[in-house]
Amino acid sequence: MKIKIGEKIYDIEIFEEEEEGKIKIRVNKKEFIFGEEKEKEISIPRVSLPKRNFSKKEILAPIDGIISEIFVQESNFVKKNQKVLTLSSMKMENELISEFEGKIKEILVKKGQKIKKDEVLIRLI
Amino acid sequence: MEIIKFEKIDSTQIFAKNLKTPEPWLVVLAKEQTTGRGRGRDFWYSPKGGLYFSVILPKSNIEDLQTLTIIAAFIIGKYIKEKFNLEPFIKLPNDVYLNGKKVAGVITENVIEVKEVKFSAMGIGLNTNIARFPKDLENTATSLKIELGKEVDNEKILKEIIEGLKEQLKVISE
Repeated sequence: MKIKIGEKIYDIEIFEEEEEGKIKIRVNKKEFIFGEEKEKEISIPRVSLPKRNFSKKEILAPIDGIISEIFVQESNFVKKNQKVLTLSSMKMENELISEFEGKIKEILVKKGQKIKKDEVLIRLI
Repeated sequence: MEIIKFEKIDSTQIFAKNLKTPEPWLVVLAKEQTTGRGRGRDFWYSPKGGLYFSVILPKSNIEDLQTLTIIAAFIIGKYIKEKFNLEPFIKLPNDVYLNGKKVAGVITENVIEVKEVKFSAMGIGLNTNIARFPKDLENTATSLKIELGKEVDNEKILKEIIEGLKEQLKVISE
């Protein structure tokens, strides 16, 4: 079973354990085992979908355009509100600032590259 | 209308971007710019006589700002046509031409966090009372003064353009 939350797809499998009353849920290869009493205590979304998946540190394109400047490099640390790149859309210059503080894991675009709205531009950790 | 006026400045856009409390529709006006900007790295020749200003735009949806930027060129074109009986030509997305030569340009600069526009300023350069252009520009740029043979009222034009933008943004956002 696949579940899409935000842009991420989670592969979820549910098994009945041999032990009476226990259920195993596998989310993207991570396994979580629930007993009846535990199910009452812990909400499933919090257990099966780790928090970091909800707060993915990704900088997305707000609009179609061309990358005109990149101000950061991989492995740089960025602060919240730091300018990371400029995206030229046909009629505008858009300066993108980071909503996160963190280290740049990956820059997925190059200067001059055409990109589409919602494309991931930068990943942070 | 609140206007911050300069005799000479590097660029009204740069000043607008550095404002600590950018109030919507605040205008930064300069009689002369030393590094007037066009889109990207383009330079906007900005000697005394022309109309150069930036206007802080209210926080809006990014698509609406894009539409407003295109419409700004139409507002300028329409004004030139109606008030001065000239035949402007809009070169999309944001330049206005007269007799095949550029007379006005528009640039919008936004600061965006995720999808929220934190700041937006539109810069407009309109060649109004410029008597002549340097050699390297005289075949590509013109002014209202050159085309009309007389001077125009910069502040009046500024007010009309701002009013036009306000009206249009209202329509777009609805």
